[in-house]
Amino acid sequence: MAARRKATRVCRECHRVVEGESCVVCSTANLSEDWAGYLVIIDPEHSEIAKKMNITMAGKYALKVR
Amino acid sequence: MMIMAEYTNRVYAIKTTAKQERTVADNIEKVVSEQKDIRVVAVIVPEELKGYVLVESPDSIARIEQLVEQIPHARAVVRGETTLAEVEHFLVPKPVVSGIVEGTIVELVAGPFKGEKAVVKRVDPGKEEITVELYESMVPIPITVRGDSVRVIDRSEDR
Repeated sequence: MAARRKATRVCRECHRVVEGESCVVCSTANLSEDWAGYLVIIDPEHSEIAKKMNITMAGKYALKVR
Repeated sequence: MMIMAEYTNRVYAIKTTAKQERTVADNIEKVVSEQKDIRVVAVIVPEELKGYVLVESPDSIARIEQLVEQIPHARAVVRGETTLAEVEHFLVPKPVVSGIVEGTIVELVAGPFKGEKAVVKRVDPGKEEITVELYESMVPIPITVRGDSVRVIDRSEDR
């Protein structure tokens, strides 16, 4: 788990969990390996959580990014 | 026919194997996207809530129980349901240094000084760092550590 978390990075701008060197949405390389909390949005149109978090795209997000 | 089910989403808690919360969330997404009977719109894995994931769904608890059977590492659905209002505080994690003030006695839980007790000298909420001085050290050496690598033992004053 720890090893996986180290390899997984999160975009500092949109909090999206990113695979690779840059965020596909923001196209920024401003990524962080230090994050906590996990949020999977499957259907942003019908999710109250997505509305609360102002998320319009399905995907995996971190709740907290350092 | 108008169905208002989208607006009455409920939140269920699923018990998981320890440290597999994220795996369970990923698997829920995978299983839900492969079929149409069970609708789950979002999954929250709060850092504070070990061994559980929260799912937002317009479906009944029986559907979620069906879902749990297909997910490895998911154990059971907690009886009962809750609303978003009760879990939304998980979405905005509070800073790890909240509750730590100057003079608080803490125990370091990570790093080379793990297990040592220390007194908090300075708190930096922006960087989420705290500066401490070790209790048993002869000379007071300030050490700056991350806010989540300490455990509060004794608060200096009642808040």
